[in-house]
Amino acid sequence: MKTNYLLPNRLKKIGWILFIPGIIIGILSLIYHPEISFFDIKVFAIAEDGIFKDANFFSTSKNNIMDEIICILLIIGALLIAFSKEKFEDEFISKIRLESLVWATYINYAILILAIIFVYDIAFFWALVFNMFTLLFFFLIRFNWALYKFKNQISDEE
Amino acid sequence: MKNSIKVERAKKNITQAKLAELVNVSRQTINAIELGKYNLSTILALKIAHVFNQSVNYIFELEESDWKS
Repeated sequence: MKTNYLLPNRLKKIGWILFIPGIIIGILSLIYHPEISFFDIKVFAIAEDGIFKDANFFSTSKNNIMDEIICILLIIGALLIAFSKEKFEDEFISKIRLESLVWATYINYAILILAIIFVYDIAFFWALVFNMFTLLFFFLIRFNWALYKFKNQISDEE
Repeated sequence: MKNSIKVERAKKNITQAKLAELVNVSRQTINAIELGKYNLSTILALKIAHVFNQSVNYIFELEESDWKS
């Protein structure tokens, strides 16, 4: 089926190449909080500190960019994996894709609403951090599970 | 929606895989259509009808339940 909103299949592999190191480094840095001075560089900030009052706009400052790198690896990697075409993308797979995306959006926001009600302060900040990635993660899990079931369905071929 | 793809395949003696190849979808998609688990697109219906040299109406048929949803 012709679609103009999906990426070519070969980008899926590149997605995994970005995503796997991203998730490994991400988990390790959550556990060990390394401060690697190699990543301390001067960055340009559109905004920093408080957004409304006491904010600095269009300034430069020193920052450890390890977390920025991890976030970008995870987001771009997951996007490429999620939205590259399957080897054989037909209309049934498009249907699975759509269903999985709607399903992932429901689950993602259901969890976010629970977090809004039950999680506070810095823990809520971390809930928001995870929420940056969970929509894509839930989509990937649901889509690949549905795809697996589709490929292994019982055939009535005689 | 009922369909007679399986019967037509038997008449022409082609497998699900062969039909899938002719209309450019996966074999699993043909299987899902045959089992009535998937409402295919108009384009795919026309292609399948074309393969069997029949009209779409001959191969696909509305059921009473299709009017309820």
